[in-house]
Formats: sequence, C-alpha cells, structure tokens
Amino acid sequence: MSSTKRQSPLAALVGSFSEAWAEVRIHRTRVLLSLIGVAVAVAAITSVVGLGAIVEQSVQESNESNGGRPATIGVSAYTQNGASFDAALLRTTLNSAVDRYKIRYHTSILSGQLSVQFVAGAALVNTTAIDVDYGVMHRVKIKEGSWFAEKDINRLAPALVVNRPFWALMGSPDLRTHPTVRILGSHPITAVIVGVRAVRDGDMPNMMMLMDAFRVAAEPASYAGQSQFEAWVPPPLAKRVTARLSAELAASVPSGVDVQVNRQDYAAFGADPIGPVRIAVGAVAALVLFLGALGLVNISLVTVRQRIREIGIRRSFGATAGRVFFAVMMESVVATAAAGVVGVGVAVAVVENPWVQEKLSRGVTDLPSFPIGAALFGLAAATLVGALAGLLPAIAAVRFKVIDAIRY
Amino acid sequence: MSLLRLDEVTRSVRLPDDETLEILKGVTLDVEIGDHVSIVGRSGSGKSTLLNLLGLLDAPTSGSIWFDDRLTSELSGNARDRARARGADIGFIFQQFNLLGGRTALENVMTPMLYASGRQFWRRRQFATEMLERVGLGGRLNSMPEKLSGGEQQRVAIARALIRRPRLILADEPTGALDIETGASIMAILDDVAEVSGAALITITHDVNVAALARRHYRLDRGVLAPIDVSRVLSAAPEVGL
Ligand SMILES: Nc1ncnc2c1ncn2[C@@H]1O[C@H](COP(=O)(O)OP(=O)(O)O)[C@@H](O)[C@H]1O
Ligand SMILES: [Mg+2]
Repeated sequence: MSSTKRQSPLAALVGSFSEAWAEVRIHRTRVLLSLIGVAVAVAAITSVVGLGAIVEQSVQESNESNGGRPATIGVSAYTQNGASFDAALLRTTLNSAVDRYKIRYHTSILSGQLSVQFVAGAALVNTTAIDVDYGVMHRVKIKEGSWFAEKDINRLAPALVVNRPFWALMGSPDLRTHPTVRILGSHPITAVIVGVRAVRDGDMPNMMMLMDAFRVAAEPASYAGQSQFEAWVPPPLAKRVTARLSAELAASVPSGVDVQVNRQDYAAFGADPIGPVRIAVGAVAALVLFLGALGLVNISLVTVRQRIREIGIRRSFGATAGRVFFAVMMESVVATAAAGVVGVGVAVAVVENPWVQEKLSRGVTDLPSFPIGAALFGLAAATLVGALAGLLPAIAAVRFKVIDAIRY
Repeated sequence: MSLLRLDEVTRSVRLPDDETLEILKGVTLDVEIGDHVSIVGRSGSGKSTLLNLLGLLDAPTSGSIWFDDRLTSELSGNARDRARARGADIGFIFQQFNLLGGRTALENVMTPMLYASGRQFWRRRQFATEMLERVGLGGRLNSMPEKLSGGEQQRVAIARALIRRPRLILADEPTGALDIETGASIMAILDDVAEVSGAALITITHDVNVAALARRHYRLDRGVLAPIDVSRVLSAAPEVGL
C-alpha cells in the first residue's frame, strides 16, 4: 500500500485540533451551555484559590512581621532577680559569633516610650529601636518613603519610620519635604520621618528608629535591663547555630544572668499555621470541580451517542480509533480551556473587587495583586477537567463497530 | 495485477436467539486496478455486509481477503494499519451521502485529508477546492449540505471519496436516493473521475441500469455471489431507460 505512511505528530495534532474546533463551532449552543457551567466552576475555584493565596500571604506576612522570616533566632538575656546588668560582654560575644558564623542579617532590639511633640500636644509614643537589617528580616512593608538605609546611621537628625496613625497626627505630610518632629526629654532632638509603614496596627502612633539614635534620645535607665537580639540564618543551619550561640553566650555572661536562644519564626512551630485554611480551600475547590466535571461528562456522553454515525464516517475515511479518541477528548479540552480563560477572568474581577479586598485585608497589610499561581491553577484545572470529562465519551466513541455506526 | 481478491469469504452473525445467520456464503471475487465491477442484489441479500468487507471495515468469518496481494487478516491484526490503508486507498460513497452536517462542502471534502500525511494534509484546502471544481461545484464551496440538492450532495460525496486518490472506490447504492436523471449524471461523473484516476470502482446497486455501466457484472442473491450477463437482464426490462 503506497501511501499508508504514518501521519506526522504535528499533522495529527493540527488535524485533531481543527476537527475539535469544527465540532465546538457546530454545537455552539450545547457547548455554550456546558461551558457556562465550567466557567462558573473555574471562576469559583480560581477565586477560592486566589482568595486563599491572599489570605495565606497576609497570614504569613503578619507572622513574619511578628516573629521574623524563617529561620529567625532570637536571643534574650535577663537577670533572675530583675536587676539590670551590663550587656556589653554579651554584645562582644554576639558580634564575634556573627562574624564567625557569617550571619548576614542581624539586629538588636530595644523598646521604650519617647515623648513626641505633635501639633495637638506632646504624646508618649511606643518606640522600637532596631538595626537596618530588621526591615529585611521582618519584611517590613513601607507605604510612603523608605526603610532605613546604612547612611541613616550617621545622620545628625535621626531618621524615623512611623506607622500610619503617627503620620496622620502630623497631617500626613509629603515625605519628600523631609518632615520633622521634636522628640522631647533630657536631650531633646529633632528627627526626620523617612518612611511610613504600610501595616495597619491599630490607632496608636508608634515609631521605629535606629539603635544609636535611640540611645541618644532615650534615658539609659529605661532600657538598661533589656537585651534582645535577632539573627536570620538559613533554616538548615538554624539548629546548629542556636545550639552554639546558646553555649557560647551562657559562658560569657556573669552569673545570675540567663540567656535564652531559640527560633521564633512561625515555621519553627512545627505545624503549618495555615494548614486548616489550605485544607478547607482545597476541599471546596475539589467539590466544585467534581460537580463541573460530572455535568460535562453527562453532556458529552449524550452527544457522542448522537454522533456515532459521524464518527463512523470519519473512520471509513481512515481515522484511526486513537485519532477518534483524541479528537473527542480534544473537543472537551478545547472547550473547557476556553471556559477556563473566562472563569479566570471572572475570578480576577471578583478577587480584585475593592469590597472583597476590604473584607479580606483584616488590617494586616496592603493586599498583593491577584496571584498568578491561582490563575494558572484555574486554567490547569479547567483543562484537566476537560480531559477527564472527555475520557468517558472518547472511550464510548471508539467502542462501537464502524459498520453499525454507518448503517444506523 | 490484482488489487482486491476475495476467496471463499463468508460472514455470519449471531442472532439474539443464539442461532447463526450466514449473510455471505463462499464469496469469491477478483478486482483489478482500473476495473469497474457492479454487484446487484435485492434488499437484504447481503450487499452492505459485503461492502463492509471490501472496505476493510469488517473482517470475514471465514475465507481470505487480499488487498494489494497482502492478506488483510494480517492487517486486521492491527486496526490502525487497516484504518490507514482504508484512508489512503479506499474511497466510500454511500446511498445516504453521509456528509457531515454543519460543515461546508469544502470542509466535508477536506475531511479524509485530516488523516493524511505531508502535502495531502497541509494543502488539503487547495486539493479539496480543485476536487470540487472537478465535480462542478466550484461555486458551492461554502454551502452547507442541507442547502444542496441530492445530486449536489452526492457530487460532494464523490469529491470526498476521491480526494486522496484511492485505488478502490466503493459505491453503495450511489443513485439510490436520486431521481433517474440525476442518478445518470452522477454515475457519469463517477465513471469519469474513476477512469481519470485509474481507480477500480465497485458499484453496489439494485438498479440494473446503473449496474450496466460497469464492465463486469455480479449478482448477490441470498449471500451467494455469481457473475451475470447484464445485457440479458437489460433487454428483459426495456422500459427502464437510463
Ligand atoms: N449485525 C447483524 N445482525 C443481524 N442481522 C444482520 C446483521 N447484519 C445484517 N443482517 C441481516 O443480513 C441480511 C443482509 O443485510 P445487508 O447486508 O444489510 O443487506 P442489503 O444491504 O443487501 O440490504 C439482512 O437480512 C440483515 O437483516
Ligand atoms: Mg444495504
């Protein structure tokens, strides 16, 4: 037989695709109906996954904002009787450990209250003193201006990063105008606002400043008893570094002082904090998908029965069983993929809706944009459902005798 | 050279009451390249069953079928090979036209090319257009089957059957659904295109006038195939003209 050459895969693919497309075009109405179902399912799934991803992200962000990114090792020292102690020795040991273990990101942390002069009067403001690295370690989000830079350490007028209420009390000035506030106390100083944090952490003003500036502005007695330090290390190293630091620091401090070294980021607490959310989201998504697939299978089974004669004709013209199988499958996939695109579009519209975002934000952070992963997941789910839903009809389409099909 | 050869072919089916119905009994037939054979038979004599065997759509219960001097039972072991052989070498024309609904004439004619390879596949639109022009439907390329007359539909079917230049054309009652005049013109076209392409043509019909157009004539009677002298049949029924 002269020309019974195997068809090239490309020709087979193009051919199947064009058959499937013609089929979809001809059965516009029924395809449209079934696709509305698929699009709705995909929209639901993608929305759920998208919203889930956003919630997940905000949960993770708030965790990181509190405990630092994985793996953050916290060091704190305190005296058993509450007396103050000289932390200089501890600091020296820490500094050498940072060099030896090549810890790239680390920060000291002190906290206290400073009196700030606002237009409406002076107010005590919760203040956290940190090093520049804190911003990276806690993934601090900035709404206006920027986080501290190394050059801010040597500023004459110390730099401040404040929260939204603080900024609002100042009348929300443009940070490009270098707005300043007066910090009162025994050594009053003028500080420059360089950044406003994005976090929504309540109505009370608070601020962050670099360690050296804080030591100038605050009364030494107010932080003498504190000694807190954080190091950000690759998670695999966390255990070893924690153990070593613990031993070295304990040896370096005077007796009567306890040093605690432990991981404090959320990932250290074993269980995935958003596990339940993930499971709930997954269950709902799976259910919706399953129902969508069921509807599709039903519709395509019915239409395959109607099309048996047509399939028989195709086979009389040389369509192999495999080819018929693939073409029927392809119809389903072509159609659901198209519905998937629509569904994802709807989901984006839902998730990006300002009202929904407002409900979701829960005061945590500025919401990220629609997760690409969710969109891809929606498309993949639609295609997979199409393939699964096409499977049964495709099997039905090759399971009958060509003769019977054409006779009928 | 023999293109298609049947040797003592039988075909039986199992009836629901567990009895066996022998539809074809010991059919022997030899068709050469360029041959034109007619098979006449009453309704129920087994014509469609025979056609399915000739078209490699079905396998015999016993006996052998050779295509191109290859035993088709070897092919039948591999359904995919049979499908490819069918696509490449056999063109079907059915009584009920069997055009694909919702597709234009051009798309219908292109259909067999979807299973072809190389040039035939990639230039199917051009080939199909030329083929439709040859059967006089160059002006109806984008018409839907529902909008075409019976004769036009059958011409589309002929174009579709011949598009891949098959070496065997199987026509099952090609004029059965047409009036006498249209039927005659369809047969003329079919004869002509088959002649030009050098394909063997097997026409299965109950109409002796259509059968008379062939070079060799057979009758199928209750599953038995036997050669007949068609001129005698024709002269016995002079009132039926072509
Ligand atoms: N699959 C089958 N099951 C039962 N009977 C069949 C089957 N196929 C054909 N027949 C019977 O065999 C006989 C011949 O059928 P067919 O080949 O269609 O004849 P024709 O096309 O000449 O009318 C008929 O009586 C038909 O009912
Ligand atoms: Mg019949």
